[in-house]
Amino acid sequence: MKLHYYPGCTLKEKAVALDISTREAMKRLDVELVEPEGWTCCGAEYPLTEEKIVGLAAPIRVLRQVRDEGGEVLVTTCSFCFAVLKRANKALRDDPLKRKRINAFLRDDIQIDPLTKARTTDFEDYNGEVQVLHLLEYLRDRVGTPKIKSRLKRDLKGLAVAPYYGCRLLRPQEEMAFDEPDAPRVFEDFLEAVGCSAVDYAFKQECCGSYLSVSLPDAATEASYRVLRAAQMEGARAVTVTCPLCFYNMDSRQAAIKEKFLDFSGLPVLYFTQILAWALGVDREVLGLGEHAVPADSLFEEVPTTEVRT
Amino acid sequence: MTVKTKKKEDKRIGLFVCHCGVNIAGVVDVKKVAEALKDTPGVSMSTDYVYMCSDPGQQMIIDTIKEKHLDGIIVAACSPTLHEKTFQEAARLAGLNPYQIEIANIREQNSWVHSDKDKATKKAVKIVKSHVAKAIRNENLEPIKVDVKKRALVIGGGVSGLQAALDIADHGYEVILVEKNPSIGGKMIQLSETFPTLDCSQCILTPKMVEVSRHPRIKLLTYHEVDSVSGFIGNFKVRIKKKPRFVDEKLCNLCGECEKVCPQIVPDEFNMGLSFRKAIYMPFPQAIPGTYTLDEDHCLGLSPVRCGKCKDVCEPRAIDFDMKETIIEEEVGAIVVATGYDLYTMQALGEFGGEKYEDVVNGLEFERILSASGPTGGVVRRPSDGKVPKSVVFVQCCGSRDTEKHLPYCSKICCMYTAKHAMLYRHRVPDGQATVFYIDVRTGGKAFDEFYQRTVEEDKVLYIRGKVSKVFKEGDKLIVWGVDTLTGKKVEIEADMVVLAMAMVKTDGVQDLLKKLKISTDIHGFVAEAHPKLRPVESLNAGFFLAGCAHGPKDIPEAVSQASAAAAKVGDLFAQKELSHEPTVVPVNDELCSGCGICVTMCPYGARTLDPSKGVVDVNEILCEGCGACAAACPCGAAQQRNQTDDQIFSMLRAMLRE
Repeated sequence: MKLHYYPGCTLKEKAVALDISTREAMKRLDVELVEPEGWTCCGAEYPLTEEKIVGLAAPIRVLRQVRDEGGEVLVTTCSFCFAVLKRANKALRDDPLKRKRINAFLRDDIQIDPLTKARTTDFEDYNGEVQVLHLLEYLRDRVGTPKIKSRLKRDLKGLAVAPYYGCRLLRPQEEMAFDEPDAPRVFEDFLEAVGCSAVDYAFKQECCGSYLSVSLPDAATEASYRVLRAAQMEGARAVTVTCPLCFYNMDSRQAAIKEKFLDFSGLPVLYFTQILAWALGVDREVLGLGEHAVPADSLFEEVPTTEVRT
Repeated sequence: MTVKTKKKEDKRIGLFVCHCGVNIAGVVDVKKVAEALKDTPGVSMSTDYVYMCSDPGQQMIIDTIKEKHLDGIIVAACSPTLHEKTFQEAARLAGLNPYQIEIANIREQNSWVHSDKDKATKKAVKIVKSHVAKAIRNENLEPIKVDVKKRALVIGGGVSGLQAALDIADHGYEVILVEKNPSIGGKMIQLSETFPTLDCSQCILTPKMVEVSRHPRIKLLTYHEVDSVSGFIGNFKVRIKKKPRFVDEKLCNLCGECEKVCPQIVPDEFNMGLSFRKAIYMPFPQAIPGTYTLDEDHCLGLSPVRCGKCKDVCEPRAIDFDMKETIIEEEVGAIVVATGYDLYTMQALGEFGGEKYEDVVNGLEFERILSASGPTGGVVRRPSDGKVPKSVVFVQCCGSRDTEKHLPYCSKICCMYTAKHAMLYRHRVPDGQATVFYIDVRTGGKAFDEFYQRTVEEDKVLYIRGKVSKVFKEGDKLIVWGVDTLTGKKVEIEADMVVLAMAMVKTDGVQDLLKKLKISTDIHGFVAEAHPKLRPVESLNAGFFLAGCAHGPKDIPEAVSQASAAAAKVGDLFAQKELSHEPTVVPVNDELCSGCGICVTMCPYGARTLDPSKGVVDVNEILCEGCGACAAACPCGAAQQRNQTDDQIFSMLRAMLRE
């Protein structure tokens, strides 16, 4: 089946591994991911930091496009894209004034068909018809653990992996509304479904340092260190993330972390889709492991490459 | 009940129009209304007055009724919910049947909602005219009298239930006290010391428990549950479920041999699961009644074939595996609901790790840890490894006062018991550090603030104003993250133990019962009082009274006061020879009734039944509340509400729509 999928800019540049492993994994679950025609940047964190309505234009255009292509659901993997799209969508569903104003603004959009050069205008109002789902949510609610289990090709033998939610994935609760931020289960259940054991540690919802990486790199280093160390102390062999920025802070920053905190010996960071794809039998070469600053290859060597189930 | 009434053509009706200061007269031209009705057929006099409800106003009504030989009156004033009783009483003093009084509401339904003086005056005239049409058709009625069963049922054997039972019994009435647990004592018996005097909780409660068990007028039913209640104020029928204890309480001599041989080990509820008991057990040494109880859910199987060890060693032969659940029926006149509270679950506050870490405990667990009769014999030891904690963090308002995620209300007792916990901890562990996170410290109560000040000043407890965001484990320490909102700084504290002051919530186990009692509850599931200020111990449902935390969070002195107040109210009720029931009920005209039974299904009070032998509907007039649902539904006009008949309603409509 076809499913609308919003990769987001980062997945086309810095986080190709997340994009490619997502596509490969979903293929093995009989889902073909389709990108909405002409999608743009969601606006990253920006549109939500101020009450300026114009910032919502970008995510709403993407959602309107999905609707116009007949899509009912849009999935995404990046925590920031997810937050922006879901919150913008909810703002339109809940607030009639915002709905009216943003549609008035977007109605006169001009779209030019690249082949025929035909101009499309007069778009139909978008009222929040599309449902925005995170891939973890999609896997839990639409695919389901039994189907994932039935498609597993590799036995991960209970590899101890620490799920890292970060700050964005589940918060604010009333808007993201797919798990309890203070006692979440969705990531743990996912890991257990693919054959890992989920490591419980105290920092799974704490911030990695986020954009402080740019303005206060030391603060981001320290924040990422706390998360990695807590996971390691509980016996994790790797930390897994959904967000390219979390990945960057915890992976690329490990050289700086080791320099500053001598007790830290390094811990691989993985996208959750890399684990999923691997368990579903995708070749190691396709997982984008070359992007990692901290080598993660060994994790994928240990497990037998022979297929355990057909 | 109908008594002799004049024919409508001969009736002399008096009209009294009230100004209510400017409340009515500011919008309605009251003189014009009185003038307009003067010549309406049936009306023999009309007048207006500034305050009809005042003494001179009532006197004027009384005098006029006598002087003009009136057969009925209409008072055009405020809503009948306010002064109908006042004017009925005035009529009675003048020798007129009180059910010949009509209240025409020209205030709430007219002057308060309109501003056009002319139109409002016309509307007032119409309203009053419609009441003239009704008044000339009103019949003399007499209240229905009912006997009162002078016995009370108290549900719940905590401190509130015990106090209510004792007081009612001391008033001279019989009481049935039902407690679902094996012993009375409730939550209070689990407490260590009580604020602000630090009396030992067991020491002050056990005398009351003994008194209840010995009182000649109290029938104590522990390990029983109220199954259903039917009937009405003064005449309730109660079905009570007797749960099998499998031990004959009269024969059990408390030798304890059964407990020694029982192989089943279960978490001990009395110690909040911090220690263990056997499947055959006594909840605590001072339990009343003093008997062992066999816990059916945990016994290997109530059969000498499967285990039966306890039965083998029981010398007085008190153990009986064949006991069955039985139902007892009782008749009572009043019911006191004292079903207590529960604590909000720690699960709801995942960030504090209460479900994950053994050393994060709730307030009631800490009471047991402090208690001399508790699992550690009163030495403060943490549950995980039995170490004496050198740093304890107390978190107030866990779930309370959180409008966004949890409960909006204040649980009222947590500030005080947290101060007590911290103080007692400092007494037991003089080199230990106690830190309290609080939003506000609320100490409204006699000698409460002095107690709190002592905790801070003498016992050197550190109070930090702010909330805790997270509790997690590092090694064998708990790390508490919070914020100090006075300095605006983040705080991190290493603790050996964390005590959460969980919010007080409704008791889940009794929600079904409350539904069966049809008792009204507030949005949080606590039993609602009839009026928040003026009727705080009565339920809206007649005959039910409230005591203790079933009604909302309260401390011991308040719970006891409310219990005594409820008992006094029960006394008021029982002091009456008989109760009066409004006669404006809906009887059945046997000759018109077709026996279709539609009205039976409409009745929310169970007052109507179909008599199969006669093929007509039978009405229990005592149960009828006069709502009129049956009268509206009856297809043949057999169900007619007294003084609100179809004829009267149509006459009112005609009078109102004529012009």
